Amino acid sequence: MMMMGDQYRKMEQYSPKSSPRGARSPVVSRQDSTGTLKTTISLGKNPSIVHHGPFYLMKEPPGESELTGATNLMAYYGLEHSYSKFSGKKVKEQLSSFLPNLPGIIDSPGHSDNSSLRSVIDKPPIGGKELLPLTSVQLAGFRLHPGPLPEQYRYVNQAPQKKHKNKHKKHKHKAGESAGGGEVAGSTDIGTDAHEKKHKKQKRHDDDKERKKRKKEKKRKKQKHSPEHTGGGLTPSHHSSQ
Amino acid sequence: MASSLENLETQLELFIENVRQIRIIVSDFQPQGQSVLNQKIQSLVHGLQEVDKLKDQVKDVHVPLEVFDYIDSGRNPQLYTKDCIEKALTKNEQVRGKIDAYRKFKAHLLVELNNSFPNELNKYRAIRGDERPLA
Repeated sequence: MMMMGDQYRKMEQYSPKSSPRGARSPVVSRQDSTGTLKTTISLGKNPSIVHHGPFYLMKEPPGESELTGATNLMAYYGLEHSYSKFSGKKVKEQLSSFLPNLPGIIDSPGHSDNSSLRSVIDKPPIGGKELLPLTSVQLAGFRLHPGPLPEQYRYVNQAPQKKHKNKHKKHKHKAGESAGGGEVAGSTDIGTDAHEKKHKKQKRHDDDKERKKRKKEKKRKKQKHSPEHTGGGLTPSHHSSQ
Repeated sequence: MASSLENLETQLELFIENVRQIRIIVSDFQPQGQSVLNQKIQSLVHGLQEVDKLKDQVKDVHVPLEVFDYIDSGRNPQLYTKDCIEKALTKNEQVRGKIDAYRKFKAHLLVELNNSFPNELNKYRAIRGDERPLA
């Protein structure tokens, strides 16, 4: 509010009422009675050029900067190579596709197994100490019992990449069906597929019904013409059995 | 800079390979493997020393913190670069559009002002030092 007030005050200072010509409107076209456009040039510590002309709110235009958004900044900074590398092409989502030689499961979220890089920043490890090779006494602490590892530690050896992929797909499928809004393309595809399947099933069902009806009619005709037919209609039990 | 990064990468790869081999030794430990394990543990320390030596060579490398979020969630960090490039490009195009629009507006305004106030505009342009003919 204070700023607004200041602005208005400034506007008032430059209003046509306070102009040297009085309250005459600048809209009316007229000859410049002063004859020339006056300019005051002041030198000294802060040299400035002030125009005293027929224009209000006359200010020096802002200096043009060399670099603006009108230039292609990608080309200016020499990033065209990176741009052509990534734009339009599909970059694989998983971290393992970026670090294919890294052993173990690396696509799982870091916070789940306490291996996130963020935790290294939040809680920096103890540093600044010299790294020295272990002495024989210290190495004695690494003496192991012969035999395989207990079951709970063995999961690291497995590389269930395919399994993980399938799980991911399943998850996607479920998310698409339940949420609907998350992955638009995926969910719509799934939706139409399911709809078509249902439609086909219904069609088959309808076909079956028609076939049954025809059979029934044929049987009726047969029964009418057969000598065994006693003239009675089909009982509900007959109907249901057929 | 590129070579120092490559050095660091090589050292880290060697370190990871060492850890992988230790994991194999440990997963089904044989009594005769103790000396090999001890050797490997020592080479781990050596590997850490080598990585520590290289830290001064990569001091000037700045990594945006957002990249860590991508890596922590198991996503390819190149996606961050891709997202940044796309965002920058969109913004660049937006600003370019705004500049073009203002430029057109200025030209149009000058033409219209010239139609309505030719004398004033001539004076104005004289002050501005703009002697080009109006389009």
